[in-house]
Amino acid sequence: MAPDARSFRVALVADRYVNPPPGGTDGLAAAADAGWGVLQLPAEDYPARLAGPLLAEVAEQAEEFRRHGYDLVLVGERDGLAEALAQVGLALPDSIVPGSATELSRILRGRPAPAATGHSGTGQTNEK
Amino acid sequence: MPPPYAWFMGVAFVAHCLLNQNSKVGDGAHCAGVYSPMVDVLRAKGWRIEQMPCPELAFAGLNRFWAVREQYDTAAFRRHCKRLSAAVADVIAVRVEQGEDVVLIGIEGSPSMGVTITSSDPERGGRPEWPDGTAEQVSGEGIFVEELRAALESRGIGFPRVAGETHAIPGHDEAVQRARLESVLDNRPPRSADGA
Repeated sequence: MAPDARSFRVALVADRYVNPPPGGTDGLAAAADAGWGVLQLPAEDYPARLAGPLLAEVAEQAEEFRRHGYDLVLVGERDGLAEALAQVGLALPDSIVPGSATELSRILRGRPAPAATGHSGTGQTNEK
Repeated sequence: MPPPYAWFMGVAFVAHCLLNQNSKVGDGAHCAGVYSPMVDVLRAKGWRIEQMPCPELAFAGLNRFWAVREQYDTAAFRRHCKRLSAAVADVIAVRVEQGEDVVLIGIEGSPSMGVTITSSDPERGGRPEWPDGTAEQVSGEGIFVEELRAALESRGIGFPRVAGETHAIPGHDEAVQRARLESVLDNRPPRSADGA
């Protein structure tokens, strides 16, 4: 079996970077290039009726990553995200508003090493 | 102006881990983050991407064991999946009402996200010792996908076309996986004259 290849790095990414308009910044390509996972945020034009439940699930998943020492960043912004994260006791992570995919990839690559270094079950972490 | 991905092609509702391999069960991450072989196909064909929540991550956590369907098929996990699938079904409903084409991209062999192949072993349980192997794979849907089907049905919406990532399936072949995805994406239903 191939070794687990996860990066322990997860970016909460605004929809306009996951599904960029023509000429927009491709956040998915940047995350792939930098070896980060993506937690997609609901589209900006979704009403609260649709976005609220999705944001709640994003927050629950972010909480689990944070509890295990994964690095989290926010790419872009999303109304209601801060409130959803607060519901699970999380503050907004460091945020990035990239001007290009190249810039985003460079910033993601330059982040400090995450606290978690072992996948689930190995007990290998360097949390202080 | 509507987003071009949504307007011109369609919307692919994808399993969470296709964009985030960090959500995988231990020893299950095939790459660092974004699983590009399938995402690249969606991008190349101009499909809008909507990531679904990972049913197992928030319920059983990052330290969960590998498990088969029967182990996840509890009342509590069903309730969890109903909640998640309701949120996803509401978004699918809006897309369908707008006349957009929708596909569902799952994870074959997954107890939650399998779309045509899930995992089954009624005897599995207790001390987690079992031989490596894939004998537990059977035809069928994972629990989340079943609940999503029910949620769409209750809204009067037909189930979308499906494709699956096939890493867990014996004989996995990336070229075959890609060809199947392309076939599903290209197999659009005919539209009526009013665009519906």
